[in-house]
Amino acid sequence: MLELDRLSRRYGDVVALDDLSFAVRPGQMYGFVGTNGAGKTTAMRIVLGVLEPDSGEVRWNGAPLNQDIRREFGYMPEERGLYPKMQIHEHLVYLARLHGVARITADKAASDLLEALALSERASDRVESLSLGNQQRVQLAAALVHEPTVMVLDEPFSGLDPMGVDSMAAVLRARVDAGAAVVFSSHQLELVERLCDAVGIIRAGRLVADGAVDELRGTAANRFRLAVGAAPGWVAALAAAVPGLTVVEDGDRTAVVELPPSGDDQSLLDAARALGPVHQFTPVRPTLADLFRSVVAEPAVPSGSEKVEAA
Amino acid sequence: MSRPLSFREAVTLVARREFGQRIRERSFFISLLITLGIIAVVVLLPRFTDFGAGSYDVALVGEPSGLQEAVSHQASVADIEVSFRPAADAAEAEQAVRDGDLDAYLDGDSVVVDQSLDDSLRAVLQNAYSQVEGARALESAGIDPADVSAALTSATLQTVTLDPDADERETRGAIAFFGTIVLFGQLITYSMWVAMGVVEEKSSRVVEVILATIPARALLAGKIIGIGLLGLVQLALIGGLGLGLASALGAIELSGPMITPVLTALGWFVLGFAAYASLSAAAAARISRQEDLQNVTTPVNTLMMVSYFGAFYVFLNQDAAAAGVLSVVPPFSALIMPLRMARGDAAGWEIGLALGLMLALIAVLVVLAARIYEGAVLRMGAKVSLKDAWAARRKVIS
Repeated sequence: MLELDRLSRRYGDVVALDDLSFAVRPGQMYGFVGTNGAGKTTAMRIVLGVLEPDSGEVRWNGAPLNQDIRREFGYMPEERGLYPKMQIHEHLVYLARLHGVARITADKAASDLLEALALSERASDRVESLSLGNQQRVQLAAALVHEPTVMVLDEPFSGLDPMGVDSMAAVLRARVDAGAAVVFSSHQLELVERLCDAVGIIRAGRLVADGAVDELRGTAANRFRLAVGAAPGWVAALAAAVPGLTVVEDGDRTAVVELPPSGDDQSLLDAARALGPVHQFTPVRPTLADLFRSVVAEPAVPSGSEKVEAA
Repeated sequence: MSRPLSFREAVTLVARREFGQRIRERSFFISLLITLGIIAVVVLLPRFTDFGAGSYDVALVGEPSGLQEAVSHQASVADIEVSFRPAADAAEAEQAVRDGDLDAYLDGDSVVVDQSLDDSLRAVLQNAYSQVEGARALESAGIDPADVSAALTSATLQTVTLDPDADERETRGAIAFFGTIVLFGQLITYSMWVAMGVVEEKSSRVVEVILATIPARALLAGKIIGIGLLGLVQLALIGGLGLGLASALGAIELSGPMITPVLTALGWFVLGFAAYASLSAAAAARISRQEDLQNVTTPVNTLMMVSYFGAFYVFLNQDAAAAGVLSVVPPFSALIMPLRMARGDAAGWEIGLALGLMLALIAVLVVLAARIYEGAVLRMGAKVSLKDAWAARRKVIS
């Protein structure tokens, strides 16, 4: 298990990370979301040892990270990092060997990855001759070539077309299913919702939500969309019949209502049926985007100052 | 499937990439060809300019007896070449001089030239004329012409050389001086390559990926060693091909004493490069864009330029006290000591001292440069101040 334990980091007067903690299990895909400058990149750089935290530590299976453990990690920095003039295959082999993979194994792993990412024909092209989308695939390959047990990817999907997203997601999913722990940051919340087993939302260097996507959405609200075949005014009648019910949205035919935390959905349904035929009764679950907006929009914590990511 | 790399393995891996990538670049061969071209020109130039200088075409109008032999004799003493052209009369000879076919013609007691008479030709013609006229005068005074002739030809000054190696030493000095120019070119080019390589890694952010796997010092050491080896290989190629070219063209005779200055230059390249490349790498680690490179490497380049002009000074003032000092003080010694060593001017203790001081400087620079590099290489954006880079190291290392 990869644990980030109470990481703090300042740049001069600016607080980038403030007591940040979360954990990622093997076989889990963890989405790391937050506004620009919330501290995602700083956190990832600390995990990779590219940056030192002011306090706190990162552990893998209980042991503080060191160079030897990090050798098993794969990293895709936000600003893509490859030698522009190197040939792709050669480049991947070089990176694998820096991770300590033997030459022959590295050679094969690089070829297999290029195959999987549909880049075999470009194997002996220079990195700079590829389109940006293809460079991004090579960048992913670079993070994967030594078969890492932990992968840390900063904005891996930004700038990819839908097909690119799908192929990259498939490659990542395969690694997760094989037991790797994957953390990636993204602004594409639908994508995070679709791909990730767990999500962490970071705001101003602090984690403000952390958990399985369903769990987060489930606890957020107890809302239902109702359509009842009754005369206008049925919504008000329903609200009167069910104690503590609030009306979120009132249309003529359908309405969205919210039960208090203690409320019972079956008695709500009974109350609705008493008014007329119920055509629709659907739990409304907030999307990750709704959730994100609600937690990020909360007033700043007292100590919160303007946060920036690593320049 | 993987195991940790030792520091040495990491350095080797990086060095091999640097060497392997750059030797495939066209610029490597282009710069090699340009340098060899310059050597060829330098070797050939004296031969072209010699053409007019050491050989003359002369006509003797009326063919006075004995004059041609006397001129030939004097010419061989003066080590110039005089060829005789037939001329039927003064008018024809004059026309030939005007046309530039002849350098001069003798008519009775005057020598006729187009514009001016070359000093060495004047001496030869003057001596020959005096000799012939003197003999004629003695002859008319009743002395046997054979005796006169014998007396005059045997009265030639012998040259006794006190320093018979001077010529060879001059040649070695010239090779070493030319070597200094090439050495300077190599040092400045390859130090720049190190600086550009460091910035390339920063600006492409590949440095983050690399440093997630190996220590910053391994990356720095590998880069300097890889690029330095390439510079050494190129320098050896230049030296070898240059000597071969020069001897093929007959400018020098290939022998041990001629090869030594080249080997000396190779050795000093390694030392000089270690010093300058460390400085360049540390300077380049402070910035993130190639455009800022000029700005931070100027002090390093200035130091190299000063050494270079120092080498010129020493070449021209070999006995100056400053020459001795400059050839010992690092990093100037890297360019100047090989010059003095080639000429045989440097005493053994001076060479030893220069080596010792240079190695000491390198040891200090490598430590300083590594610390600045580690402190600055992961800081993107604005130029990192030396103070910050120095202080930052604590955090990156721990």
